[in-house]
Amino acid sequence: MNTPDHTPDLTPHRLIDHAGLLALARPRPDAAAKLAATPFPSDHLGDQALHGAILGSPHPHARILAIDTRAARALPGVHAVLTAADIPGTPCYGLRHVDRPVLCADKVRCIGDPVAVVAADTAEQAHAAVAAIRVDYALLAVVDDPLHALEAQAETVHAGGNLLHHLHHAHGDLGAAVAACEHVVEDEYHSPRQMHAYLETEGGIVEHDDDGRLVVRFGCQNPERDRQVIAGILNLPPDRLRVIGTPVGGSYGGKDELTIQPLAALLALKTGRAVRLHLNRGESTDLGVKRHPMRMRLRSGCDADGRLRFIEADILADTGAYATHGPEVLDAAIEHVVGPYAYDAVSLRGRLAYTNNGIAGAFRGFGAVQTQFALERQIDRLAALAGFDPLCFRQRNLAAPDAPGPLGQHVLPFDGPHRALDVLRTHALWTAPHRHADGRYLYGTGLALVHRSDGFGKGGPNAARLVLALAADGKLELRAGFTEMGQNLIGAATRMMADHLHCAEDDVRIVLGDSALTPDSGPTAASRTTSIIHRALRDHGPRWRAALVDAARVDVELPSAARTAAGGLVSEAGHPVLDYPSLARQCATTRPTLVIDLPAEETPSDIPAAHLVFGASAALAQVRVDSWSGQVKVERLVLANALGPVISAEGLLGQMEGGAVMGQGMATIEDLPSPGGRYAARNLDGYFIPTLADAPEIEVLAIENLMADDPAGPRGAGEISVNVAVPAVANAIAHATGLTVTRLPVTPDTVLDHLERQA
Amino acid sequence: MITVQFELNGKAVSVDCPPERRLLELLRETFHLTAAKPGCGIGRCGACMVWIDEQPVNACLVMAWQLEGRRVRSYENLATSTESAPVRDALARCGGLQCGYCTPGLAMTLTHLHRLEPRPKRDEAALLLAGNLCRCTGYGGIRRTLAQLFDPAIQAPLDESTPT
Ligand code: FES
Ligand code: FES
Repeated sequence: MNTPDHTPDLTPHRLIDHAGLLALARPRPDAAAKLAATPFPSDHLGDQALHGAILGSPHPHARILAIDTRAARALPGVHAVLTAADIPGTPCYGLRHVDRPVLCADKVRCIGDPVAVVAADTAEQAHAAVAAIRVDYALLAVVDDPLHALEAQAETVHAGGNLLHHLHHAHGDLGAAVAACEHVVEDEYHSPRQMHAYLETEGGIVEHDDDGRLVVRFGCQNPERDRQVIAGILNLPPDRLRVIGTPVGGSYGGKDELTIQPLAALLALKTGRAVRLHLNRGESTDLGVKRHPMRMRLRSGCDADGRLRFIEADILADTGAYATHGPEVLDAAIEHVVGPYAYDAVSLRGRLAYTNNGIAGAFRGFGAVQTQFALERQIDRLAALAGFDPLCFRQRNLAAPDAPGPLGQHVLPFDGPHRALDVLRTHALWTAPHRHADGRYLYGTGLALVHRSDGFGKGGPNAARLVLALAADGKLELRAGFTEMGQNLIGAATRMMADHLHCAEDDVRIVLGDSALTPDSGPTAASRTTSIIHRALRDHGPRWRAALVDAARVDVELPSAARTAAGGLVSEAGHPVLDYPSLARQCATTRPTLVIDLPAEETPSDIPAAHLVFGASAALAQVRVDSWSGQVKVERLVLANALGPVISAEGLLGQMEGGAVMGQGMATIEDLPSPGGRYAARNLDGYFIPTLADAPEIEVLAIENLMADDPAGPRGAGEISVNVAVPAVANAIAHATGLTVTRLPVTPDTVLDHLERQA
Repeated sequence: MITVQFELNGKAVSVDCPPERRLLELLRETFHLTAAKPGCGIGRCGACMVWIDEQPVNACLVMAWQLEGRRVRSYENLATSTESAPVRDALARCGGLQCGYCTPGLAMTLTHLHRLEPRPKRDEAALLLAGNLCRCTGYGGIRRTLAQLFDPAIQAPLDESTPT
């Protein structure tokens, strides 16, 4: 029945199951250091470092009338009390929009917005000084709702108005497509303000080194960009700064943009001393970015044969007080709301509003996860109306592997969505009944399918520079300005180096995240690093292997077919000729390096922010809903990932399991409301994240196939598990309870209300 | 100000500080021992876990005056001891850590549970570990670590993915 007409003839899946991944998994190269309590940036206490403290705004929206720091300056132990007037260079920073003041001068736009910053001998003295600063505010109307923010009479958060970004995309004949529909579903979906809740709150130290540089050590995702921006703020040449951003105690996008580094650097510059700054959880909650809450009106329909004909979407996102990544998040939301499906017509509209609700920014899943939740709910609802099994309905509606992308752009041909569905089709969890009740408990199984982009959209920071070098001790180094945040970048890079250089993993060293040692590789974000390192080594590895052999030839007679191998250079027959440490000693003055400049690989289509490369994942979620308490327990998640060859099994498992539980949290418990511009919680006693007791049993499957001649190679695995888990859990709850899930998280109250109405 | 004398990682120490000063702050700021992490400061995350008289305790909840005469062990000390070797080995091999920020606290709890006599069953151990939050792993690697270190409660097939 229901023969999917877009399903191409698939070559056999190259499938690695969960047990297979476990068998391939090995300890992370950095596990030993982490188990030996190697310090994180916020653990660096420095020598006689001053303590920094920030005076943040107590109001969500206010004009600053006057700041009086005299009393604070006079307190014992205080070395500096700085305000906006003390910034030597650019007073604001930002990505596409430079709208965020380092220190607020004329107005504050959210709770915690920094107004002044202090350095003192002790933390107590710093806090006493902060308390002694007097600021006179004139309160402004608080804009705490993105819809109201866009009304004509709304108070403006920024001078240019509250509409930060908007976009519209349409193709196809919408009227005809709607007319062809037998079933149409229309609803408004709401996604929550999720908190990253990295366990290491923002913190670090700025020190002065012997070369007269300021050394900024804070966990981050792009040390080189941070260096440039901080240099601009301090009005210093960039080479007076060194930024070290690795390792990071969790980020998930939340430490991508600068937060407090400029403040610490400013204090260090002004005092001539080392300065530490480390936010407590409450301050981190106030100042850290969150996931953009979105209101999503979707309308889509299918014909009597269960073929999707059109989708209309109207997305409104709340970016809070400052832009950071907001515009790109909205772009991603729009690009992904279409999904991997085919339609006759699409009409998409997105708006991004400034409000006084904290600050929203980059978060794993990045705009897409919100709209994928809404879309996958629509798909399930249409499938039910049209009388199709949800999986068959999806199969039936997949765009062909070589079809244009969601915005009509040229994309790399990809059959991942077809494969992911095909793998789940026969899974025992799917062939079993999708809902049943057992006394007090209601069980449901939900399905979701997502595809998601790799890297940044067209026009984004997609280029990267990497360096290969022979180190003095003979290690073959890969130097990259990326950071290790737990994603196992070091492990994946080590594996790729060994593979492409034909050497042993022990011969390799990965040098990351230090602007003095590593090149500008662009952001450690957008699931891009593995793909970039893969491309670099695939395309330039042979040249580098030859360069190592050539370097040896300068002084040593080598057999003509000498090559790189584990431990050193070997003859054609594999006999050792020269080990790498000896090679390094030999060419002490002219050790070879290779600078690799990878150009941006973007879609040739002239569509701003559109992506070229996609990966895919399909998931099954099984939930158990307690009809007495309304509580949802996610019992099982099965993730079938079509992301190309597995580079690091332990990395893939970790990213899938971690992201899936983060998605589960978003679907079931996590939300940070902001009534009146004030977050409803400031710590983990009011904002809950999943514990070990909440975590489901997770099964990860890897489908390694890519299309013949696919030029991109492995797709990033860092985000897609969040993207797919959220809609899968939402659909499972809907199946278990019959609730029309339109709002996340699904709270016990919602469930109980629904069950009561049904009874 | 009070003077408190206690044992820290096997050595007698004495500090003068306000009586309400938290142990977490003493460890990090006074003794420069930073393995215990300030994840929340209110006893919710377990990142600051240490042992006091061999019992796991959130260092952010303990005040200086409570330390008089007690024996405090931090992860710096445990990390180099043979007692924690099976736990560290299992965490590394099972993918029980990613960013590693929760790891010292987690290893303190796990090592304590692993040393208990009789050793708890896997589901009991899992229950006692729910106070150690991890935002990275989704607890998959931590479950596998538990499977490695603790026997299942009842006779179950030797399957690492069996839920605890
Ligand atoms: S910092 Fe002590 S429990 Fe979180
Ligand atoms: S490994 Fe990052 S919080 Fe547990």
